[in-house]
Amino acid sequence: MTGATSGIGLETVRLLASRGYRVLGIGHRPDAILRAENDIQSSVPQASVRYFCADLLQQREILHLAGELTSDVETNSHGRLHALINNAGCARSRYMTTEDGIEHQFALNYLSGCLLTRELLPLLLKARGRVIMSCSQSHKGAKVHWNDLMLRRRYNPLTAYKQSKLCDILFAKALNDRYRSFGLTAYAVDPGLVNTDIGSKAGGIVKAVWRLRRRHGVHPRVPAKTYVFLCQEIPRPCGLYYHACRAQVPSREVTGEQAGRLLQLSERLCGISFEVPA
Amino acid sequence: MNVFITGAAGGLGRAMAIECARRGCSLFLTDINADGLIQIKRGLERQFDINVTARPCDLTDSSSVDRLLAVTDQFGIRFDMLLNIAGIDVEGGFLTLEREQAAAIVTLNDAATLRMTHAILHRRRPGRHFSLIFVSSLASMFPMPLKATYAASKRFLLDFATALQRELKDQRVHVLTLCPGGMVTNDDVVEAIAAQGVWGRLTANPLETVARKTIDRALSQSGCYVPGISNRLLAAIGHMVPRSWIAALIYRRWHGAQQKWMTVKPGKSTVSDRTPAFCRVEH
Repeated sequence: MTGATSGIGLETVRLLASRGYRVLGIGHRPDAILRAENDIQSSVPQASVRYFCADLLQQREILHLAGELTSDVETNSHGRLHALINNAGCARSRYMTTEDGIEHQFALNYLSGCLLTRELLPLLLKARGRVIMSCSQSHKGAKVHWNDLMLRRRYNPLTAYKQSKLCDILFAKALNDRYRSFGLTAYAVDPGLVNTDIGSKAGGIVKAVWRLRRRHGVHPRVPAKTYVFLCQEIPRPCGLYYHACRAQVPSREVTGEQAGRLLQLSERLCGISFEVPA
Repeated sequence: MNVFITGAAGGLGRAMAIECARRGCSLFLTDINADGLIQIKRGLERQFDINVTARPCDLTDSSSVDRLLAVTDQFGIRFDMLLNIAGIDVEGGFLTLEREQAAAIVTLNDAATLRMTHAILHRRRPGRHFSLIFVSSLASMFPMPLKATYAASKRFLLDFATALQRELKDQRVHVLTLCPGGMVTNDDVVEAIAAQGVWGRLTANPLETVARKTIDRALSQSGCYVPGISNRLLAAIGHMVPRSWIAALIYRRWHGAQQKWMTVKPGKSTVSDRTPAFCRVEH
């Protein structure tokens, strides 16, 4: 679980741990990781949770993290990773780039999950696992700006956020199209309006609006149930896009053609290849 | 078009590199941050179908610069544009800085910039227009207590560029001086702008817009570019009001903002791609 030290991520880790799963959580601040570990251990004493520290905005850190995770899963879980939840996300009020030259919201909300999934794909395929992307209802009405993916010509933070969430669901579709026959299933989750810290670092108008909106959000433990449902439900749910444990209809932009195009572009941006197993 | 960019691994330098890459330029990038340089080179090559050469260099070290130039000479590279982005500031009043910290500001911002400008002007493509960009600052318009060395080092660049512009006018060289306010390059800067309150928000410039408009202007004209209406207004006021009054006003404002920022981020006296986060707000 990425973004596992607060909000939806922390509650999902707690819920999974309380049901006896071994959970690997990712955070990017050592102090937040320590707090989350103590929090989980005090509420679920029998929890088997291990945290890793990585800044998922940077591709080199994702690759390093993937190596650590692979080593852990090989050692402790016979090389089988049953679920990967790409939950880490951010909201920005200004255009900023990662050291790879990728716009922040696109890099963290979407591309980090894409790269991590690719790096952990052998472990996921071995377990016939599940991949869950944290999406949002705001993807409806958004389009992928294929000619200016980072919105450099006219940056609008909200448009960038919505586009990144549309990419999440397109990625889930692309994974299903390519790997469902090999046992891997991918989902996108709309957690709804949740009282988390996502907009508090944004600054400017985004921070001010989020401060007002979050008051009406539900507690993170509410959407956590949907993530756990998609992780463990048998037979595995067959929809693509879920809210409150129920399949929803995604945007009309979510097509096989767009999903394939995004996957191809993502392969180029990350220098990777989503190969079909022999 | 071959473009040489210093300080290319972070903040404004990276934004400029992206903007030039988007226009299909071939890039020669340098920065003291070798890891960051590798990342942006790889990122640009993946996003755009362009040639990118990247070599780490300490621009304050003459022998390091010689080694860098040996690479360009080895391949006979000639340039059409130079972006002098590398710069540094150290937060705090003059006497709170270490002696060498204060000297380092001038060494990089001015001496190293002159060194690179001289070197690359001698390696410009013959018979073609050459664009030369200096990154000064809105701070160059005013005497700035608590940022005295930084503001003066940027004033040096502004005056030098204006003089050089005239000197090279007949040699088809456009000289543009960029004087931005704050630019949001990372989360620390977001907090620094918040610490400055209304002034911080008013003078902050969108990074991607500054990068785009700077390149647009550098290709067609010489002069001084102050991004943003409020910044242009402040620059105009700076020319009309007695400088001692301005210094007193800035001291009052900056003292409070700096205290607030240092309290929030006590370990952040020097940060960044060679430039402290708080100071980059007043690049």
